[in-house]
Amino acid sequence: MSRLLVVDDEANIRLLYAEELADEGYEVVTAAGTAEAVEKLQEGAFDLAVLDIKLKNESGIDLLQKLVKERHDMPVILCSAFSCYKDDFSAWLADGYVVKSGDLSELKQEIARVLAKKAQRQKAGL
Amino acid sequence: MDWECCWDRDVIALGDCPNIHEGDEDLLESPRRRILEKCCDCSNFRRDLERFQSSGHPLGPVFSLIHDEYRRQKIHIQSLLSFLDSKSLEIRFFHELGSVLQSSVDLEEVLSVALTAITAGRGFGMNRAFLLMTDHKRDHLQGYLAIGPRNFEEAHQVWDEISHNDMDLQTLAQNFRKNKLSAERAKFHDILEQISVPLSNTTHILIKALDGKQPILIEDAYHHPDVDPDFARLLGVDTFLLMPLVSRNRRVGMIIADNCITHRRITAEDMHSLETFTFPVAFAIERASLYERLQEELNRVTEAHTKLKEQQELIVRMEKMALVGRITSSIAHSIRNPLMVIGGFARSMLKNTPDGDPKRNFIESIVGEARQLEGVLDEILNYSDSLYPTRDFWDVNQLVETALRESAAALRTRGYGSTFSAGSELPLAYIDFKQVSYCLRTILQCDLNGIGPPRTMDIDTHREADTVIIRIRDHGRYLPQEELDTIMMPFSSTQVMGASLGLALCKTILEKQGIPLNAQSVPEDGIFFTIALPIRKEDQ
Repeated sequence: MSRLLVVDDEANIRLLYAEELADEGYEVVTAAGTAEAVEKLQEGAFDLAVLDIKLKNESGIDLLQKLVKERHDMPVILCSAFSCYKDDFSAWLADGYVVKSGDLSELKQEIARVLAKKAQRQKAGL
Repeated sequence: MDWECCWDRDVIALGDCPNIHEGDEDLLESPRRRILEKCCDCSNFRRDLERFQSSGHPLGPVFSLIHDEYRRQKIHIQSLLSFLDSKSLEIRFFHELGSVLQSSVDLEEVLSVALTAITAGRGFGMNRAFLLMTDHKRDHLQGYLAIGPRNFEEAHQVWDEISHNDMDLQTLAQNFRKNKLSAERAKFHDILEQISVPLSNTTHILIKALDGKQPILIEDAYHHPDVDPDFARLLGVDTFLLMPLVSRNRRVGMIIADNCITHRRITAEDMHSLETFTFPVAFAIERASLYERLQEELNRVTEAHTKLKEQQELIVRMEKMALVGRITSSIAHSIRNPLMVIGGFARSMLKNTPDGDPKRNFIESIVGEARQLEGVLDEILNYSDSLYPTRDFWDVNQLVETALRESAAALRTRGYGSTFSAGSELPLAYIDFKQVSYCLRTILQCDLNGIGPPRTMDIDTHREADTVIIRIRDHGRYLPQEELDTIMMPFSSTQVMGASLGLALCKTILEKQGIPLNAQSVPEDGIFFTIALPIRKEDQ
């Protein structure tokens, strides 16, 4: 079972992600901000992280850069209310980008795609 | 002594005097008036006087002397009266001319009056007149207008016409301007277009006259040392008068007048009168030209002012819209998360609600409404994105082909067919590819009411001046122009959110790049969209 870390400052969204992604067969751990996310990462390994970009007074992009630097084997999907970050160079570090929607199909597809890609890479020994 | 003349009778009858006719009846009973007015010129009286002289009476020669002197004085007075009459006519003519010239600032009216005055019988009575004007740059003296007949037949016809219609100068000029100005210009076009003399050519007779500020009468033009024979041949006459038009030392133009039909001699008096006439004409032409230029400048300023006002309004609108954009972006973001939660949990609930459960309809409604609101949010957030375009030079045909390819599925779903006629050798357009492409896709896919057959969309590209035009003719939709204009207005209160917000957004995005988007409703033919893309950086 793949372990996912979901970082979002909205409690209800964390709950929605947890419910929906658990239904898809993932183990979901949520965090409300950067500090909590770092804490969870220290507690155990994750197969993938889903990050919101606007986290109250913090930036999901900053967290992304930190993760890419320290956990380069863990893919990250950015999930934001804004589509404009798609064209932001710093967002290109992420493995996927999804615009927030009540319909989580796109996010679920993106998670599956990124995890499959990661599995392929591991299989190839990269 | 029996007198032949009736001077010694108090009362006479008609027929007694050969010089008294019907209408002179009041003279029959007035011997004094009869003697003074008639007898003096009567042959009977002259014979009586000769008889009296030959009778040896000492007063005989004295009477003859007085009679001769009386006749001489009478003739002199008559010539003075005739001179006075002609001068009165001249003064009346100049008064008429002056009042028109002084009151008019219309160049064509001034010219019509001037040339009519020169050629009219009640004016200076010349056969033909050419007007030459200095050009705008004041480099050349050029043929501008001419008036007069080109041959005897035409002259006869025109003069007959004028004599039958007893018109004053102003009416004649108005008539000329209204009915003949263009025709006269065309009639003398061949001559006028050949007259162009640099003002610097001081050896040319025209420039000599202009610089000398004095009229010159040219006689025997073909052999005149100062006249170019080609110029004389062009006019086709050997005698003509050059009248320079100078206003406050400014060289305005020249009038060439001749009697090419009647060959009447141009007298010194003609020259003097015409010289007097040219001063107000030159001044009036100069004033009318200045007025015309002033009008041109005024039009330019008015046009610039209108453009400036439009730009100002556009800036204000854009600023307002940018503000609206920032606000809506912020609101949209705040709405996005709760909306996502509502829609997301509704979907979760729907998954766990069995078919047939009455709650399912309610939950489906929540899912549907949330989806529609998310669509609106996407549009609003796209608008916020559009505030900062990135421009470069792009191939417009490629842009259209890409948009058509990306819209193919949506068009197919609606049962639409499309054609694309790509313009050849189009220059690259300076645009934000992503934004214009988005707009194009939105126009192609927009979900307007009123859809119906034939569901075809014709797209073509072509160049117009410094723009590349994309024209989309949507034959499948029809909306009244007013409704279409409302739909194109961003965030208008009458707009149905979501259904056509995209078009207003497109207009905003394109306008921000200085690209006009025109949507025209063509009754029974659909809606025609036109996008004019700039090809130069500085046009934006």
